[in-house]
Amino acid sequence: MVGKDCVAIACDLRLGLQALTVSNNFPKIFSYGSQVHLGLTGLATDVSSVSELFRYKVNMYRLREERDISPQTFANLVSSSLYERRFGPWFVSPVVAGINQTDGKPFICGFDSIGCIDFAKDFIVSGTASDQLFGTCEGLWEPNLGPEDLFETISQALLNAVDRDALSGWGAHVYIIEKDKVTKRLLKGRQD
Amino acid sequence: MASLFQQSMPSTGPGYSFASAPTHHSSSGPRQHAFYPYTDNGGSTLGISGATFTILAGDTRSTSGYNINSRYAPKLFRIGGDGPENEGARIVLSVVGFAADGNALKERLDTMVKMYRYQHGKEISVHACAQRLSHILYGKRFFPYYVTAILGGLDDEGKGALYSYDPVGSYEREQCRAAGAASSLIMPFLDNQVNLKNQYDPASGEGLEKVMRVPEPLPQETVEQLVRDAFTSAVERHIEVGDGLQMMIITKEGVQETFTPLKKD
Repeated sequence: MVGKDCVAIACDLRLGLQALTVSNNFPKIFSYGSQVHLGLTGLATDVSSVSELFRYKVNMYRLREERDISPQTFANLVSSSLYERRFGPWFVSPVVAGINQTDGKPFICGFDSIGCIDFAKDFIVSGTASDQLFGTCEGLWEPNLGPEDLFETISQALLNAVDRDALSGWGAHVYIIEKDKVTKRLLKGRQD
Repeated sequence: MASLFQQSMPSTGPGYSFASAPTHHSSSGPRQHAFYPYTDNGGSTLGISGATFTILAGDTRSTSGYNINSRYAPKLFRIGGDGPENEGARIVLSVVGFAADGNALKERLDTMVKMYRYQHGKEISVHACAQRLSHILYGKRFFPYYVTAILGGLDDEGKGALYSYDPVGSYEREQCRAAGAASSLIMPFLDNQVNLKNQYDPASGEGLEKVMRVPEPLPQETVEQLVRDAFTSAVERHIEVGDGLQMMIITKEGVQETFTPLKKD
């Protein structure tokens, strides 16, 4: 979700096998460098594999370039890496959020499982509660929210959406990304 | 109970029209004919009750698959009252799902409510009408009306009354309910804004000291704005919702109907 000079990314913590809850502490957001964050929903083995694949790729980028990766570059890296597996895809739908350190502008985007990028100006949703998230985000989000208002908006959007989805929930992680600061907050939410 | 069926109609994809119903066609062997008696006509409805009023709303688009049948096909109907125009009616029914079944159900309920007044010499109460509707739906338990119905009116104390149903008559009185194609988009928004779910009193303490905000009946202007916001949001993200927003506001003065255009894309 985009705000004024800030972005936010949030995820729930449930890991399940259809209706069976396997874990209630499975974060789906991973950070690459100081500002770039990747959210991954879908098949849990692929979530782990893909997050580690990008850790490797981003570390190699940093060694070669001697600088952090920008969110735009990372988005293109995600897209091309996913399309490499065009006919045997990773079963994930990623979301990227970050602030470009060069121009200080917020950046978010989403992907399908084979890397088609969705550049959005407002918000990106993904996962089993995507319908519900579309409804809450479309209803609650407004342009130019400050960091604290953006935190409240993304939290309310996520919590109320996952409460209407049987396959999501068990608390949440929320990251508020500003130009020189990242705040991570843990939300309890409904534990059922 | 009604929430069990909030995902509404049979398939997740767009519904089939009669012409494009799935047929298992092979060049050899006997020709087989198929008739599928249901179509999903899309659209969404929404009801919210307040202290002295109930608001029902629905979009006016009717679809089958990716086609638009009509940009003005009402899903809200006055029940009871006088004559074919239902003058002086105090109960409103909204139906979403299969439009033909919705119309048939409306006709049946309207007839029942008019017969009630003829036989008993008084207007039917909403809770009696609500239970009757449940029986009508359950009466077709094994060939159901493919609709999610919401019934609105004022109860015996003059408070807003809202009843929501599943296609076979399971029903419940609620403060608010969204039904139809975009119900999954609208319902969590309503949980948050009407029932104040996940909201805490900022003046209360931290952690376990936190006190949840208590939902109270909302004023009519607030509810009207919430309904508009819910539908403009749904129109942005759901292709089966759009064209127009029909609202019926039931107060002790009667039923007031409004129509506002929505995006037609």
